[in-house]
Amino acid sequence: MDKAIRSPQKMITACLLLIGVPLIVVGGAMLFQEKHYAWISLCVAILSCLPLFICFERKDSTAKELITLAVLVAVSAAGRFAFAWVPGFKPVTAITVIAAMYLGREAGFVVGALSAVVSNFYFGQGPWTPFQMFAWGFLGFLAGVLAQPLKRQKIWMCLYGVLAGVLFSLIMDVWSTLWADGGFNLSRYLAACISALPFTIEYAVSNVIFLLLLTKPIGEKLERIKRKYGLFG
Amino acid sequence: MNTFASYHPAVLMLYFIAVLLIAMFTQNPVLLALALLGGVSFCTLLERPKDFLHNMAFYIPLFLMIAITNPLFSHNGVTPLFFLNGNPVTLEAVLYGLDIAAMLVAVMYWFKCYNHIMTSEKILFLFGKVIPKLSLLLSTALRFVPLFKAQIKKIHQAQKAMGLYASNSYVDKLRSAVRVFSAMLTWSLENAIDTGSSMKARGYGLKGRSHFALFRFTARDGLLSGAAVFLLALVLLGTALKETAFSFYPRITALSASPIAILAYLAFGLLVFLPFLLEIVENMRWKALLSSVPKHGALSLSDATPGKDDKK
Amino acid sequence: MNLLEIENLSFQYPDTEKKALDNISFTVKIGEFVVICGESGCGKTTLLKMLKRELAPHGEKSGSIRYHDVEQAELDDRTAACEIGYVLQNPENQVVTDKVWHELAFGLESLGFPTDVIRRRVSEMASYFGIQTWFRKNTNELSGGQKQMLNLASIMVMQPKILILDEPTSQLDPIAAADFIATLQKLNRELGLTILLVEHRLEEVFPIADRVMMMEQGKILLFDRPEKVGTQLRDIRADHHMLAGLPSAVRIFNALEVKAPCPLTVKEGRDFLSEHFGNVVDHLDIPPYTHRDEVALEMKNVWFRYERDLPDVLRGVTFSVYEGETFCILGGNGTGKTTTLSVLAGLNKAYRGKTLIGGKKIGEYKGSALYRHNVALLPQNPQTVFLKKTVREDFQEICKVMEYGKEERQTLIEETAGKLGISHLLDKHPYDLSGGEQQKAALAKMLLLKPKILLLDELTKGIDAHSKENLSGILCDLKADGITIVIVTHDVEFAAVNADRCALFFDGEITSIDTPAAFFSDNNFYTTAANRIARHLYTNAVTCEDVAELCRLNSIAQKPESEAVYG
Repeated sequence: MDKAIRSPQKMITACLLLIGVPLIVVGGAMLFQEKHYAWISLCVAILSCLPLFICFERKDSTAKELITLAVLVAVSAAGRFAFAWVPGFKPVTAITVIAAMYLGREAGFVVGALSAVVSNFYFGQGPWTPFQMFAWGFLGFLAGVLAQPLKRQKIWMCLYGVLAGVLFSLIMDVWSTLWADGGFNLSRYLAACISALPFTIEYAVSNVIFLLLLTKPIGEKLERIKRKYGLFG
Repeated sequence: MNTFASYHPAVLMLYFIAVLLIAMFTQNPVLLALALLGGVSFCTLLERPKDFLHNMAFYIPLFLMIAITNPLFSHNGVTPLFFLNGNPVTLEAVLYGLDIAAMLVAVMYWFKCYNHIMTSEKILFLFGKVIPKLSLLLSTALRFVPLFKAQIKKIHQAQKAMGLYASNSYVDKLRSAVRVFSAMLTWSLENAIDTGSSMKARGYGLKGRSHFALFRFTARDGLLSGAAVFLLALVLLGTALKETAFSFYPRITALSASPIAILAYLAFGLLVFLPFLLEIVENMRWKALLSSVPKHGALSLSDATPGKDDKK
Repeated sequence: MNLLEIENLSFQYPDTEKKALDNISFTVKIGEFVVICGESGCGKTTLLKMLKRELAPHGEKSGSIRYHDVEQAELDDRTAACEIGYVLQNPENQVVTDKVWHELAFGLESLGFPTDVIRRRVSEMASYFGIQTWFRKNTNELSGGQKQMLNLASIMVMQPKILILDEPTSQLDPIAAADFIATLQKLNRELGLTILLVEHRLEEVFPIADRVMMMEQGKILLFDRPEKVGTQLRDIRADHHMLAGLPSAVRIFNALEVKAPCPLTVKEGRDFLSEHFGNVVDHLDIPPYTHRDEVALEMKNVWFRYERDLPDVLRGVTFSVYEGETFCILGGNGTGKTTTLSVLAGLNKAYRGKTLIGGKKIGEYKGSALYRHNVALLPQNPQTVFLKKTVREDFQEICKVMEYGKEERQTLIEETAGKLGISHLLDKHPYDLSGGEQQKAALAKMLLLKPKILLLDELTKGIDAHSKENLSGILCDLKADGITIVIVTHDVEFAAVNADRCALFFDGEITSIDTPAAFFSDNNFYTTAANRIARHLYTNAVTCEDVAELCRLNSIAQKPESEAVYG
């Protein structure tokens, strides 16, 4: 019975992914010729999240795994409030990276992407939401891939914090250029990057600060939970 | 404002997607003007006048900024107005700046409306069936956020009352905020173990989880979605036939006034003002209802007035 | 018919030497209301968790648990999830989703019921529990009592056959707790639901239980009808820690050596006293209230609101506390008690009126001067006080802030920990301590500030009777050291024992201030159970000890011919 339900579901998902999605992207690009960059960028941002989300949906997670992820997501959203008085100084990236280091790349991705959605329920959803999901999710995933070196050496972790700050800024600048210009205008992109430089530096610095301060306490907690309950195997 | 929000989430989502799709991806000035007008007027229904003015104070400068900066970056176009640092500032670029600024502000306004109407409850309902695990995760996270915010405040006060970091220096404040935050993290991970137990105690993890929601799809939902799809189809038809196509570079194209283009404009105009119209119709219906009350009995007049208050 | 049969059940946590449960056997009949009590660490929570398979802790288990004649391990998944309901201690931690209606439906979703079935069951349960008015609310907007009621309701929608509850009222205020217990009684009476309840606040649950199980060190000490358990416990050991936790009527009875059936409720207690004791002596001679001349803190017509557009929380609060005095502020939820403390601690600023600490306006203390050897506030949730990995690290940090010398630090920490009896806990993680231990550790941290004035918010919340007695002793010592103590509490019994003066807070102001004896004898409802039992005979008896003392005095005055014997 269970399998009977599942296999058509799988079929539908596969069809959707293989036929529907490219159709939408190409169709949209043709339809909105004037702004196909914006359209395609939006599609790419959403689509790049899909496989990992589907992967996560498919896996059986225990209640404790789910709750641990929910806590991390909520903590990073609450962190945006706690540090709202310092613009750009937020712990989302750091928590995503820590989650990825200790719980794996998939968890890192989910924490990063959902942190964007959840915090935007308070700060306002917008066309930027998919881009933030993609940016934070991707940074989480990458940190998961690099988990071993990041855990072993503090310096790598700090470097990753800097890199993550820069990457996040660069990705979001792509968004703002595409939307403010309708097409990809290199000089505007450079201008956006330069004008966002103080923020980029702040992202990088805050990432490093948060990583240095939070990795040990959260890491120990996560390791303990992982061992005690055999989670995220 | 309740009328529109009370429709089925799927219908509302469809509506917003329809409007945003056009608003975000067209350059046609007529469509964009309609989107901007519709968005602003919808927003007046949803927000208190004070907040609305507040927004205006933000969006008008934003509009101007985008409109002005575009010609500085983009030197496309064939009609130079004047030269700045040896670069031409063209008429096309100026108008394109205005166009794109209208688009951005319109989209911002529509997302503002979206945030008012599409509450987390509705979003979770929509995605609950497709991605049940993620939406449960979201729901739990949304339950935690206010809890954690409150806890941050409590810890902060407790620490302050011990005389820690009572100074006003920026670094001290930041250090204390980080400390409080990390304490909150420990607290939350520790307490979440109970939440996990409570989920397990209620059978989480059994095969074949179902999904419950309070929303019901009724005839009027069907009607509204039908209308939205129809109107969207008309606009897309215009777009697909290139009747509403419009470009600024290298030179500004003329606005098409063909029947199909006009039909598309009308359709989009109707689409963006749909919530506004629904609200007015509903208001009139209420008034008619109230005025019909005394016919049945003079006593019920006083009972009927609270109904008016409910609608606010 | 037996619902649960437990036979020779033993359990040992990994890496521990002692068994948490030691060869336990008992049965629970269908429809029984069983109350389980015992000191913290006696294994009662472990026992409950063993009974719910999904929550059973990891460790070494032997013996058998049979539910409806089926061995626990062989129970069907759905039956195990559905028919055995479990409610935990902390109302906050159990709420999983953000909406009340979703929380109610959660269990049924897990079981895979279709929408219309869920809709019917949820609406039925919401009506039964009176949830319909807040059905669509966010869960974080609810009060603690509502949250716990929601937790109960969201278990009940799954139609369990047995309900297991682990100290469900310990975090609630007395009114919400009484409400919750009344609901449990209703479920038991009207639906014949079997209930297994662990509780340390026995005043209300003792009389309504069919049987009471008293546990000690992983074993069952007593398992009998409540009136028998009360007296048998005293016969086993006259200084047993759990005796202090029994209902007031039982405690008075136990202190008096009368051959009669043991009273359980206030009503039975009154009848018992009327029958056996006169009131030739109708009051105790209490030394008159005196105080020192120096005023430690003072509020004069203080008004406060949290935000400009919100209503006033404090409306002209006026009172003064003298040096070395213990001052208790009582009152219902949301009347402004905690806010008053926060104003006294300088966390909130009043917009009108004067607050004086040590004769100086609170605004004149700059930086952290207010908190240096002056005022310390112990907040409601002691967990907010700790930031470090061990209690000792937390203590050392505060010593560093206070700029004590290195050696002074060491001795001060040892001394304070010794005074509060927590020396053995110093190297533990603060979150691994029990509620009472956490409270004591948090109090110790405050004492390291060497305060003159100690502000305590709900000191006794979630703490068992023995730990409460312990805290009373500590407060007594602190008072002897000359510390001024202000306590905000719901706990009338605790206030009656510890306060020099009590104040009633209502609607944003203090409406009456008096010594405990006068305060509680004047109140008809807002008073101790002991006072309610004895008020028809004696004018100023407020604690169980007072009542017992008066009874003894009367039985001497009445001559020994009565049944009562001086004990």
